[in-house]
Amino acid sequence: MLEIKNLHASVEGKEILKGIDLRIGDGEVHVLMGPNGSGKSTLSNVLVGHPKYEVTEGSIVFNGKNLLELPPEDRAHEGIFMSFQAPTEIPGVSMTNFMRAAVNAKRKYFGQDPIPAGEFLKLLREKRKLVGLDAHFMSRGVNEGFSGGERKRNEIFQMAVLEPTFSILDETDSGLDVDALRIVAEGFNMLRTPATSAMVITHYQRMLDYLKPDFVHVLVNGRIVKNGDASLGYAIEERGFDWIKEEINA
Amino acid sequence: MASESQYTELFRSCRELIDAGSCAPLNACREAAAAQLAATGLPSRKTERYKYTDAETDFAPDYGLNLRRTAPTTDPQRYYQCGVNGLGAVTFFVVNDVVCLPEGMQLPEGLTVESLCAAAKKNDGFIERFYHRAAAEQTDGITQLNTMLVQDGLLIRIATGAHIAAPIQIVNISTAGKARLMSNRRLLVVAEEGAEATLLLCDHAEKNGTSLTTQVTEVFAGKDSRLHLCSIEETHSRNTRYSHLYAEAETGSRIVYDCITLTNGRTRNTADIRLRGKGATAETCGAVITDGEEHVDNNLLIRHEAPECTSDMLYKYVLAGNSVGAFAGKVYVAPGAQKSLSQQTNANLCASEKARSYSQPMLEIYADDVKCNHGSTTGKLDETALFYMRQRGIEEAEARLLLQHAFINDVLLRVEPAPLRERLSHLVELRFRGELQKCKGCKMMCK
Repeated sequence: MLEIKNLHASVEGKEILKGIDLRIGDGEVHVLMGPNGSGKSTLSNVLVGHPKYEVTEGSIVFNGKNLLELPPEDRAHEGIFMSFQAPTEIPGVSMTNFMRAAVNAKRKYFGQDPIPAGEFLKLLREKRKLVGLDAHFMSRGVNEGFSGGERKRNEIFQMAVLEPTFSILDETDSGLDVDALRIVAEGFNMLRTPATSAMVITHYQRMLDYLKPDFVHVLVNGRIVKNGDASLGYAIEERGFDWIKEEINA
Repeated sequence: MASESQYTELFRSCRELIDAGSCAPLNACREAAAAQLAATGLPSRKTERYKYTDAETDFAPDYGLNLRRTAPTTDPQRYYQCGVNGLGAVTFFVVNDVVCLPEGMQLPEGLTVESLCAAAKKNDGFIERFYHRAAAEQTDGITQLNTMLVQDGLLIRIATGAHIAAPIQIVNISTAGKARLMSNRRLLVVAEEGAEATLLLCDHAEKNGTSLTTQVTEVFAGKDSRLHLCSIEETHSRNTRYSHLYAEAETGSRIVYDCITLTNGRTRNTADIRLRGKGATAETCGAVITDGEEHVDNNLLIRHEAPECTSDMLYKYVLAGNSVGAFAGKVYVAPGAQKSLSQQTNANLCASEKARSYSQPMLEIYADDVKCNHGSTTGKLDETALFYMRQRGIEEAEARLLLQHAFINDVLLRVEPAPLRERLSHLVELRFRGELQKCKGCKMMCK
């Protein structure tokens, strides 16, 4: 599904990613861990084409397409979704209008007519239930006055509506209480199919418990320094990152 | 030569013709207005309230006037389709400065709509009592120019206690042909005690020709009356508009004034509202959308002259291209106007590098028990929100449109009644998409 080769990327002239190689196959969930500032969010942002991040070297191929040539919206249409670490407020743009614009943009990309109103409302209703988001959120501005937990739920709700094939969860668990985390993680698990994959950035064992990742990668200073399975994640939860850094230095 | 002299000279040389095409109450005010105009001149950028709009330059071209009162050749009621679905308005047209009232129109009880000159013929002293009363004290050169040259206008009178449910729509149309034409319009609105009405004032211009309009509106809101005025401009790049609202609100009355500029050339809207009686309220809001070389300057002064009055200003601008948007709003609280409440907000979105925004919120307070807030912001589109939307697959142009519409939406949400609000929201969307000129079924090109 996704193949990243020797990826180098900078923000405002400062190199953050220093040669990332990563292959994510269909149906796989990969967890990315690493100390603050190691480049996890940069990698996510590069994948979704944030204009602030400049790719200086390397390639990203997504389902046979050169991702770096596509604008952010086309990447989304091709099936990439990012659950943002800090979902922004868009006052005045109602959730309903926002989702309609997003759904119809995707349909347009694939040469389909706009979604009929009834079908659209039914879709919203179904997906809301999945993440436990009340109906009144739909008439509010996007994330406007939402609590931290509601925002994260809203991210998973949008993911459910847009049905991406590859999702990036950038610290979706942060700021969630135990119940909210369960709802979000269960919602995510329900959306998993053998054809969908995900890259999850997390610091918490609880998320590993829910997601049962196939692979765990450790990012330090812009490079993937260690690969493993879920047990690597638990080891980090228990022992921190220092032992990995020591291993590298040794 | 100062710009006003060509008009004062015209006035002197055509005085008889002007008077003949008008009526006594209007003629009686001309001389004083001409003298004051000669003394003060037209405002220039050196005039404090005009520092963002140079009227002297706008009035410098040699504009023709329809002093012979030539009536429009077409019947505006049939020619223009300005109805708003579901609004159920009673609609009147003013073509250039000629009032076109349909004959035998059935009006709701308590509502009088007639031309100023027709009303003056009744000789009941009503026009003399109100005409140029609120505007007379003003030293504003353009108001004086209007008073000096205006030959007729519209009177809207709502009788004591009458609640007029149907909005009263006045469609102003500029049809200059291939000439440069100046039109001086006048509107007098008198809401008597306890009266209620909604007025929709629409400004349009036909695509050919270059027009300059001055519009002086005087509003008298009697005790406990409710007046809602919504002014919407959809003209084009060769249209210059100077509109002046002078309003007086008596005890317990409420004036709502919405001022929306969708398309235009050069526009200056002045509103002077006096809260004269205890507990009077003025709510004003404005939405401005500009691009190209468009220029919009809204200048407001709300005077709290009695205790326990409330005022609110909310003006939002979305500026693109090389356009200029200016806002100056002042709340004046007179000595003794205790328990005054006022809120003033101006927010501007510069959607292009070259768009310019000037903002000047002001407070002048001479009472010590008041609550007055003011705030102003100017910024660009929120790049974080823009990217968030693009990540969800929304194209950049569409995302910008949604953000701009959302920015201005809290002004639109205040517009009443609902059918007008919905129509306006639709027009705003068309405007942001650059499709406003495609208004179905209309002969006018608003862009």
